Amino acid sequence: MLVWFRGRLAALAARVTEARRLGRVWGLVAQHAAARGGQVSAADVCAAVIPGVQVTGAWLSAARDAQAGHLMQVTDEVSRQLAELQLTLGEGPLFDASTSGGPALASDLASPESAFRWPAFTPAACRAGAAAVFAFPLAVGAIRAGVLGLYRDRPGPLSDFQLGDALVFADAATMLLLDAQDQAGGAAGPGAGPGGQPVGLASRRAEIDQATGMLTEQLSVSITDAFARLRAYAYVSDRGLADVARDIVARRLRLPPDRDLSPEES
Amino acid sequence: MDGQLLSETFVELTDTMVADFDVIDFLHVLTSRSAELLNASAAGLLLADPRGELRVVAASSEAARLLELFQLQSDQGPCLECFRSGQPVAVTDLSADRRWPRFAAAAGQAGFSAVQALPMRLRDQVIGALNLFRATPGTFDADSIRVGQALADVATISLLQERSMRHSDTLNEQLQTALNSRVIIEQAKGKLAERLGIDVDQAFTILRDQARNRNQRLSDLARAFVDGTQALTSPAGSPRTSRPGTMQPLPALRPGPARPAPPRPGA
Repeated sequence: MLVWFRGRLAALAARVTEARRLGRVWGLVAQHAAARGGQVSAADVCAAVIPGVQVTGAWLSAARDAQAGHLMQVTDEVSRQLAELQLTLGEGPLFDASTSGGPALASDLASPESAFRWPAFTPAACRAGAAAVFAFPLAVGAIRAGVLGLYRDRPGPLSDFQLGDALVFADAATMLLLDAQDQAGGAAGPGAGPGGQPVGLASRRAEIDQATGMLTEQLSVSITDAFARLRAYAYVSDRGLADVARDIVARRLRLPPDRDLSPEES
Repeated sequence: MDGQLLSETFVELTDTMVADFDVIDFLHVLTSRSAELLNASAAGLLLADPRGELRVVAASSEAARLLELFQLQSDQGPCLECFRSGQPVAVTDLSADRRWPRFAAAAGQAGFSAVQALPMRLRDQVIGALNLFRATPGTFDADSIRVGQALADVATISLLQERSMRHSDTLNEQLQTALNSRVIIEQAKGKLAERLGIDVDQAFTILRDQARNRNQRLSDLARAFVDGTQALTSPAGSPRTSRPGTMQPLPALRPGPARPAPPRPGA
């Protein structure tokens, strides 16, 4: 009986932690937007992540459909230098994160590992004032929205808790960038999801990714546009993203080829 | 347990862990081998996402029902308990279990009667779990548990490749990359399934076989296919089908020149 109860508590704790983390992170981002009186954007993520994850500065470069990114946001002069250095030198955590699809984490730029990994970037970054750098790809699988870079002026890794938060900040930036990039009249604008979040920020299920892949083929659009169409449809039909995805994967639902969002249901 | 197969498996797995090997494909092979060696009906590897949940990265079969069962375990189940406690967790009869009703019901519907979860540990950190399912109630014997734990340990080490094991940065990078690769693979499965009019699990088999034949990382092929920068060669003849529950013969783990496709049961 006690074992059962402990298991239930642990499972409940896991659910609450994840939902709480998302709520907390999104709250920080939204708060920043409210304080400057504007609509939530990726810039607010850059500002909120600094106290949120205890870093010194952040930068964000955007990409569209896997093309190389351009610098969009910086929070201070050092982060500007770090971002520009990488683009000039053609090496650094930004490129590693883009290539591998996973984060590039360098907790100590003074370490031999760092010098080995980025022989040109490392000394220049140290001179600019950075002691640790962390870069996160902003992506949903093959959908590439950009890279979020963080730096600290003192060495040390992100704790597990901070890493979890950083990943959620990165998720938020991803969805906000995708929202901003979707010019073709997607109905799911920023803040259309629960709690004012972008649609799809909280969802992470295999069917959603599979349905996105199916739509890229079905509609002959890029994977980025397929995802936008999926989210737009969910918003317009007032259904959860995972629900809609399940119907698409089960071939109960096909989206129409043009942007008229009335569905064909089989 | 087949002693010969056991030795061969470990030699192959450790031989494959050299620089630039494809960790995603490796984890899929390891999971399949685990099921085969331990006479499990199915096996799956789940990794902990620092955001706060367990996510499946590889399974002995891509059948949607099985993956769904693993996904359920991010909320409740022996895998989550195993991950949190760092200890093996077994349910010898799912139909009689009271701890995880939703999971037990779903597992029963999928045809499983018992389950064993083994922790993926690195010193004092637990990064995930290896999950083994049985079709009949009961336990895995002590030998099988030992071998299963060793396989889980190999999976853990494979995530660090040849780099320093003391560096938490490396582990976190590799974990996230593996989790993100999974998303790309799901997208590729969907695209290929739609193109050929087949199930997503069949699509996975095609993608994996093509990646091996070209000596290419599965996640790289998947990404290139989704981006449209690389075409797949059309499968010879009709789309592959296999009866549920049939074990396919596993090709050699070491990438090599293109091999003829193994014979399809029932084809």
